[in-house]
Amino acid sequence: MQVKGNYMVNTTPNVVWDMITNPAVLEKITPGIKTLTVTGPDQYDAISEVKVGPVKGNFEGTLSLKDQVNLESCVLVVDQKSKMGNVVAEISMKLIPDGNDNTEVQYTGDAKMSGMLARMGQRIMSGVVSTLSRQFFQSLNKELEGEPSTE
Amino acid sequence: MGKFVGKAVKRREDARFLKGAGTYTDDIKLPKMAHTAFVRSPYAHANVLSIDIEEAKNEPGVIAIYTGNDACGEFGVPCGWQVDFKNGETMREPAHPLLTKDKIRHVGEAVAIVVAETLEQARDAAEMVMVDYEELLAVTDPKQAMEAGAPLVHDQWEDNAAFDWCIGNDRAEVEAALESAHHVTEMEYRNHRVAPNAIEPRSYIADYDVNADKWTLYTSTQNPHLIRLLLCAFVLGIPEHKVRVVSKDVGGGFGSKIYHYTEEALLTWISREIGRPVKWTSDRSEAFMTDAHGRDHVVKSKMGFDKDGKIVAHLTDEYCAMGAYLSTFAPAVPTYLHGTLFQGVYTTPLIHLNVIAPFTHTVVVDAYRGAGRPEATYLLERIISKAAKEMGMDPAEIRFKNFIPPFDGVEEAGYQTQVALQYDSGDYHGVLERGLEMLGYEDFRKEQAKAREYGKLLGVGFSSYIEGCGIAPSAVVGALGARAGLYEVGHVRVQPTGKVSVFTGAHSHGQGHETVFAQFVADKLGIEMDDVEIEHGDTDQVAFGMGTYGSRSLAVGGSAIIKSIDKILEKGAKIAAHKLEAAEEDLEYAEGKWTVKGTDKSISFGDVSLTAYVPHDYPEGLEPGLDFSSFYDPSNFTYPFGTHIAVVEVDSDTGKVDVKRFIACDDVGNVMNPMIVDGQIHGGVVQGIGQALLEEVVFDEAGQMINASYMDYAMPRADDIPMIETDRTVTPCPHNPLGVKGAGEAGCIGSTPAVVNAVVDALAHLGVTDIQMPVTPQRVWKAMQN
Amino acid sequence: MQITLTVNGKQYSNDIEPRMSLTQYLREVLDLTGTHVGCDTSGCGACTVSLNGAAVKSCTLLAVQADGGELTTIEGMANGNEMHPIQKAFKEHHGLQCGFCTPGMVMTAANILKDNPNPSEEEIRHGLEGNFCRCTGYHNIVKSIQHAAEEINN
Repeated sequence: MQVKGNYMVNTTPNVVWDMITNPAVLEKITPGIKTLTVTGPDQYDAISEVKVGPVKGNFEGTLSLKDQVNLESCVLVVDQKSKMGNVVAEISMKLIPDGNDNTEVQYTGDAKMSGMLARMGQRIMSGVVSTLSRQFFQSLNKELEGEPSTE
Repeated sequence: MGKFVGKAVKRREDARFLKGAGTYTDDIKLPKMAHTAFVRSPYAHANVLSIDIEEAKNEPGVIAIYTGNDACGEFGVPCGWQVDFKNGETMREPAHPLLTKDKIRHVGEAVAIVVAETLEQARDAAEMVMVDYEELLAVTDPKQAMEAGAPLVHDQWEDNAAFDWCIGNDRAEVEAALESAHHVTEMEYRNHRVAPNAIEPRSYIADYDVNADKWTLYTSTQNPHLIRLLLCAFVLGIPEHKVRVVSKDVGGGFGSKIYHYTEEALLTWISREIGRPVKWTSDRSEAFMTDAHGRDHVVKSKMGFDKDGKIVAHLTDEYCAMGAYLSTFAPAVPTYLHGTLFQGVYTTPLIHLNVIAPFTHTVVVDAYRGAGRPEATYLLERIISKAAKEMGMDPAEIRFKNFIPPFDGVEEAGYQTQVALQYDSGDYHGVLERGLEMLGYEDFRKEQAKAREYGKLLGVGFSSYIEGCGIAPSAVVGALGARAGLYEVGHVRVQPTGKVSVFTGAHSHGQGHETVFAQFVADKLGIEMDDVEIEHGDTDQVAFGMGTYGSRSLAVGGSAIIKSIDKILEKGAKIAAHKLEAAEEDLEYAEGKWTVKGTDKSISFGDVSLTAYVPHDYPEGLEPGLDFSSFYDPSNFTYPFGTHIAVVEVDSDTGKVDVKRFIACDDVGNVMNPMIVDGQIHGGVVQGIGQALLEEVVFDEAGQMINASYMDYAMPRADDIPMIETDRTVTPCPHNPLGVKGAGEAGCIGSTPAVVNAVVDALAHLGVTDIQMPVTPQRVWKAMQN
Repeated sequence: MQITLTVNGKQYSNDIEPRMSLTQYLREVLDLTGTHVGCDTSGCGACTVSLNGAAVKSCTLLAVQADGGELTTIEGMANGNEMHPIQKAFKEHHGLQCGFCTPGMVMTAANILKDNPNPSEEEIRHGLEGNFCRCTGYHNIVKSIQHAAEEINN
């Protein structure tokens, strides 16, 4: 399944970068995350409960960031297992400054699903993924509002 | 035509179904019955690293959990047909285990089964079974499966081929004829994979009686005796006489319930382990993953013509998927049920077909309504229509030009094809002529031209099919690799009062045997239908049988019953002659009594049967009773044929295809009950239209079927389909006593190419020459844009 | 959970698991096995019953949602031995083959005719959209409903 989208975040790439590489922030803003344990540099074990419309499940597995180009781009690697099926995804993210202290986050990648998710879920999963991504960035923006400006 | 035969007698089985009183397997509840849930692989290809059942074992209600490490039928379910490589190498036949312990070969393959007090408890506990997999690369496309470096489904062999087989004339000779042909038409396409989707999911209950040391297996099968044979002799090694297999009401089959499935054997094994009845019913999602699929051929074909449009040669190469294992009849489907029909209804002098049948990381592929014959018909009828367009000929004209001339198989000999078979009788012109009449062909072409002026895209498509049914002469299929005979058994028991119980090895799962069989039995005996009862689907009642598929029930099963009736009448005549004090040869039998010719002296069937059971005044030396069983082994296949014509309108904005008319003129030989034959044709036609327009099993790269539910797998619904216009000609089968040929698959064989031909015809003026099935709006729209 | 409902004119009161579907309740608790299960996504319609006068797919309703309701299942369509005109028409016009989808078809047909006593062929086909039949090609089901409509209206 293709995963693709973009979102405008109201701050500079530096701040976004700091936030998405900070486990404490990630744990707060990633939808459904219950626990996020650091297992190595940019390597995490994650337990989450995802609930969007008819899709509900407990996922367990790893998250990691690779191919990092500081302040510019990285690849998020997701390997999550659940009773409904497993998800393996590689999503590359790009941070593009708009010149007005805002950042456009572009993400694109491919998610492979198995089990019931693959058989019955593919059609709704793309909707679920876009909802989850939107929630992620909305939380990120909210998190920003609560934080003092870095300037 | 008799009192009942040939009439639209209403079905006797309907009352129970209409009242919700049918007994399908899932409706059966036995005391102390345990329930089951499977743990199935989410991957198409994987190593099983570990299976942890400890936590699940302690879940409430759990009775037992079994994995592939338990000794349940090590070699698993066998294949019933052996098709060897053309170079003589033996067919590659892998073990097909009931539960997999090490290697996963398709999504949905079972690794464990949980047995619990309730279904919910079984399902809950199944979720607690932890399986660790190592996912591997998968291949689902039969052609890709043969490419160098393709992931191996069974790594004991160097490539994925189960066999590589050919039929027909010498390849070099066919190639040479194509070289020198006036015109050659080529096609490359996929006869895509579809899912059978009987609306009743498969369901099994195994019940082991510890005191009698006997099993009863209730199963939704088309084939109870064969299941018992395979289960006992090949899978579990238990004595056949200790097992009763019952399959009474079955909610549709379409091929998918012919085969012996792993779950049937596993439940039978478990029932003795736990000493209790145990049930499993598939849900729809499991059905998509585990019921044998149909079709899945990748085809490349060339047909050569002379300057008059006569076919001079036909060469085809195919890759036909077997799936992960060899299902019961799988090897026969793309070979002896497919290649043997490459003659079609045409006089093609040179034919060669090569079939490579690879294993793929998918559920097995086996016979699905028509089984190999729809695929043959699709190819022939598409390529001849394409050739007509290319050569500027009319699609009806090119067919007339190439038809085999009419022959009745009695006065004129049968037609010997280039591909092994000899057709029994046929008049292929007749059905096309009648079809054209029903259509109003000339008017249609005018209407089509006019419609085009207004931007409306109308098309007509033809399909002149033939099929090989009445499966099958045992010696012939034995020589072709079948590991079983394909005769049928008909047992007729006349009760002392003259009432008749008929036991047939054929199996009804919608075909209406309880009605149709009673019609010809009553007529043949000159008694009322109410005095005849038809029993099927119970191995303890019926001596033996080969089940129902391949449009064989009447042609083979009916003939076996007729054979027994003949024996009854022969013996009855002896008793009648004794009672009437006349010579046997002076008697005639009609309207339920024996009469001394030219007199009014007679004795009724009932009196004779009573005498047979109360033999006080009885012919000397004659055994009492009136009860005969017969095996009927046909001398040939039967060859129904017909012409189907589809009229479609294509929406020029969206590419949506609307079937405006569907005309089916079939010849199924003699007709016992026209209402039921029409019903069979309607259903088959709509299944064929389903493949043409809507249905397709879609796998992603990892081998996941991504449309495995009724939300995503498109099957025809009531508003996708017009009323079907049917008519028929009658060319009796010359070699069976009822003169019948079979009607169950005809609709599904003829309809698919007719629809696609019609779509291509509607778009011909835009330069469209072919569209891959299913012809979805997206594909049609794309074709229109190019 | 305790539920009380009327099925085919008879009142039942049972203590059931909250997650039990209405189909399961009918089949397992009341032994009314005429209501069939053909899928798990309410796509096939074999489980159609009438709840408070409307056709519903009982596989996607929980039994507790039908608490206090009035249900008719296929077993309640005939009047003793006298079949409902729709049932009669299905028999007369060969509107069924294997019989598995039939209960759902009859219940849906009843709903179509209740809302529209004189439906056109197109309206019947549209009304049957939620029910799969793999045997009949729908031809004779549509015909049966047309004839049932005539019969009921006369």
